[in-house]
Amino acid sequence: MKRRLPFRRWIRRVVQIVFLLAFVGLILATRPVPGETPSWWLKAYFLADPLILVMTVLAAHAVPLLALFSLVTVLLTFILGRVFCGWICPLGTVHALTGWALDKVQKPAKRRDTFSPWQKAKYYILGGALVMALVGGHWITIFDPLVLLYRTVTTSLLPAAQWGIETGANAVYQADPRIGGFKLTSVTEPAYQYLRNHVFVLPKQAFLGTGVILAFFIAIVAANAYRRRFWCRYVCPLGALLGLLAKRPLLRRKVASESCNECGLCTTACHGASASGLGTGWKPSECFVCLNCSTTCSRDACEFTFQPVIWRKEPAVQPVGLTRRGVLWAAAGGLVSFAFLRATPQGRGSVYHPRLIRPPGSRPEPDFLARCTACGMCMKVCPTGGLQPAITEAGLEGLFTPHLVPIIGYCDYTCTACGHVCPTEAIRPLTEDEKHQIKIGLAAFDVTRCIPYVYGRNCVVCEEHCPIPEKAIYCVETEVELRDGKKRRIKLPKVDPEKCIGCGVCEYVCPLDDAPGIRVITTNETRHDRHQALLPEVEGEEELPY
Amino acid sequence: MHAKSTRREFLWQSAVATGGLLLPAQLSWAAPSETKMVITKWTGPSPQSPTEFAKIATQLTEQAVATLGGMSRFVKRGDVVWIKPNIGWDRTPELGANTNPDVVATLVRLCLDAGAKVVKVGDNPCDLPQKAYASSGIADAARKAGAQVVFLDRDRFREMDIKGERVKTIPVYPEIVESDVVINVPIAKHHVLATATLCMKNYMGVIENRRVFHQDIPTCLADITRFMRPSLCLLDCTRVMLAHGPKGGNIEDVAVRLTLAAGTDIVALDAFGAEMLGRKPSDIGSIVKGHQVGLGTMDYRSLQPKEITLS
Repeated sequence: MKRRLPFRRWIRRVVQIVFLLAFVGLILATRPVPGETPSWWLKAYFLADPLILVMTVLAAHAVPLLALFSLVTVLLTFILGRVFCGWICPLGTVHALTGWALDKVQKPAKRRDTFSPWQKAKYYILGGALVMALVGGHWITIFDPLVLLYRTVTTSLLPAAQWGIETGANAVYQADPRIGGFKLTSVTEPAYQYLRNHVFVLPKQAFLGTGVILAFFIAIVAANAYRRRFWCRYVCPLGALLGLLAKRPLLRRKVASESCNECGLCTTACHGASASGLGTGWKPSECFVCLNCSTTCSRDACEFTFQPVIWRKEPAVQPVGLTRRGVLWAAAGGLVSFAFLRATPQGRGSVYHPRLIRPPGSRPEPDFLARCTACGMCMKVCPTGGLQPAITEAGLEGLFTPHLVPIIGYCDYTCTACGHVCPTEAIRPLTEDEKHQIKIGLAAFDVTRCIPYVYGRNCVVCEEHCPIPEKAIYCVETEVELRDGKKRRIKLPKVDPEKCIGCGVCEYVCPLDDAPGIRVITTNETRHDRHQALLPEVEGEEELPY
Repeated sequence: MHAKSTRREFLWQSAVATGGLLLPAQLSWAAPSETKMVITKWTGPSPQSPTEFAKIATQLTEQAVATLGGMSRFVKRGDVVWIKPNIGWDRTPELGANTNPDVVATLVRLCLDAGAKVVKVGDNPCDLPQKAYASSGIADAARKAGAQVVFLDRDRFREMDIKGERVKTIPVYPEIVESDVVINVPIAKHHVLATATLCMKNYMGVIENRRVFHQDIPTCLADITRFMRPSLCLLDCTRVMLAHGPKGGNIEDVAVRLTLAAGTDIVALDAFGAEMLGRKPSDIGSIVKGHQVGLGTMDYRSLQPKEITLS
C-alpha cells in the first residue's frame, strides 16, 4: 500500500507562512524613498485579487490593467479549487494559525466539521455585493480579506510594534545600562537606527480609528474559537467568489468507499467543513485544498486526483445548494443596502464635508468610492503620516477610506507616492508637475485663533512653510493697538486662494497645536467642479467692476 | 585724549593694561594676533557647471579657514565635532535654501585632517528630514567626506535651562551641545519675518518647540546664541536667496555671490550677511539685539576682516 506523505501538511504550512511573511514584507517595503517612485509589485497581492477586479469593473466600469493579473488566480482556481484560501491567502493563514493554537487549548476530539448550511451566507453576501457594485457600490471590498489584513497590519499592528520599539530603545538609550564592560546600547542603538532609517515610515506613526479596525480584526480571529476559520467559511466574499469558480475543479477528492469505514477523522481535520457527511458529499466550493483529509485518513481511502476536463462527472462533486429565492433576496438586500448607504446628504452630492480632504489625484467622490478598497496602502506610504482612515467623515460607504488630517501630517509638496501605490487608481498616479496643478483644499485663517490676529504678535510660521514658490500665504503689514494704547506694526498673514493647493503644512506647523489658527477645508478642490466657491481673480483688475 | 591722569585713573589703567596683557596668555581665543573675521570672494570667471561651482565653494572654504589660522585653531586632536549647516528644506542646492553641500563637505575634511575623532553633520529640518537631507545634497557630500550624518531623534531632545531673557528652558538636542566643537555654517537667506536668516538664526536647528520664537525673534535668537557659545561660524554666501525666504523655490530669487565669510564674531558675520542681502545690519532685529547684549559687534568693519579674493 502506498504510504501517505506525513510531511505533506508541513509543506502546506511552510507555503502559507512564506506567503504571509511576503505579505508583511511588502507592507514594510511600502515606504517612501526620496526621489523614487514606489514600484508596482508592492501591490502584488491586490493585483492577484479577483474580487477587487470584479468589483471595480462593475462599479467603476473600468479595468485596471495591472489587476488583470488576478486572472492567474482565476485560472488557478479552475484547476485546483480554492488553493488560494488554503495555501496563499495571508488572512487565511492567520486563521489557520489561530485554529492550530486553539487546538492546543480546546478539545478538538469531538468536533465534527461537516458542512453547515450557514456557509451559504458568504455567497449571498457576495451576491448582494455584486448587485450593489452593478449600481456603483464598491463597498464590499473593504471586507476583502487581503484588504482587511493590510489595513489592520498597517494602521494598527505595525504602529503598536513601532511604539514598543521606539519607547524601549529610548528608555535603554536614556538609562544607558552597562553589564561589566558591555553597553546595552551597543546592541539596541544600531538595531533601532536600522529600523528607523529603513523600516519605519516616520517617527511615532499612528492612525486614527485603529480601535474600530483592531476590534473587527480581533472579533474575526476570536470567531475561530466557535468554528475554525469562521471568517473563511461563513463570511469571506473573496472566498465566495473563488468558491463559485471552484464548482468543478480539475483536482478532485475521491473516496474509496470500500476502504472507508466512516470514522470521521477527515471531517475532524477539515479546514473548510467541505463535506456534508463522513467521507461523503464533498463540496469543492467549500474546500481549501488543505489536503488534511487525505493526510489524516488511516486507511488511505481519501485521495486527490486530477481530472483532465471539468465536465467529467467522476469523482462526484456536490453543489453548495444555493437557492434561487436566496439569491433574489441577496440581490434585493444589496440594492436596498446601497440605497441607504447613498441616501445621505453627502452621498447625494448636495453637501461636501469640509474636512474630507482626499489625497491629490483622487477622483470625484462617487468615482472614488466606486474604486477605493480602503486597503490603506496610500496611508502606509504617506511620508508625513497625514493620510488617515476616515471613520465618520466619508459616511459608512467611505469607512476607512483615506483622507488627509493636516494636524497629523501634511501633503508633502514633491511627493506623489499615494497615487502610485493605489491598486485601483481611486487615486490617479501623478507626476510632480501634475500634482502641483491640483488643489486638494483651501487654507483659511481662523481669526479668532490666529496669533497675529488675536494677540497682536508676529508669528507667520505658516507663511514660512508654505511650499508654493510664490507663496500662497502672504503678509500685510498692519498697525495694531495694544492694551496700553501703544501701536505695534505686525505682519498679518492672508491666503491667496488662487495659489493655495490645500497641502495643509500651514495647519500642521501652526503653534496652536490643539485648534490651529489656520485650517484646510475642501473648498476649491480640483476634483469637484461644483465645489468651486471662488471666482478666479482677473489679472490686473484691482477694483471689482461694482 | 586725557592731558593728565590722576593717580586713581593711572592705577586703574595700569590694572586694565596688565590684565589685558595676561589674559591672552591664558585664553588663546583672545590673542590679538588672531584673525576674527575673514571674507573670501571669487572674482574669476563665473562657474559654468556644478562641478566648477563645487570647486569654487571648496576653495573659498579652505581659504577662509586657513586665513583664520587653520582648523587646528578650533578643533583639537580627538575632538567630537558637530557641523550644523542649514538643511531646513526639501530644496536642491541651486535654490539656495540650504547650505552649499561642498562647503559642508570641505569643513568635514578639514576637521578630520585636524584630528577630530568624529565629525557629525545634522540639523532639525522644517521639511521631512529624509527628503531635506537628500535633496540638499548635504547628506551625500558629508558622508563622502567621512562625516557621520545624524538624523535628530524627536524623543531625545532634552529640556535645558538656557536662562535667556525670553526663553528660560527649551528642548535642545544633547548630542549637539555635548560635542567638543560646534561649527555653525548657515546660508544667507531672506526671511519673511526676521528679514534675514543668518548665523544666529541657524541655531534654531538645534532645538524643538521653536515655533514660538517667531513672536520675538531677536530676543529668542540672542538667548539661544548665548547658550550655544559660538566658536567658529561660516556664512555661506555662494548663493543668496533674496526673496520668498526662507523656503524659496524660485531660481529667480537666488543670486550667485560666490562669497564666504568666516570668523568668531557671530554678530559681525550676520552684519556682513545683511549687507550681502542688500540690507543694513541695523534693519535686522537679531543683529541689533546681539550687539546690544554683547554677543558681538554689528560694526563688522571694526574687526578689520581680511578680504581675500580668489580667481
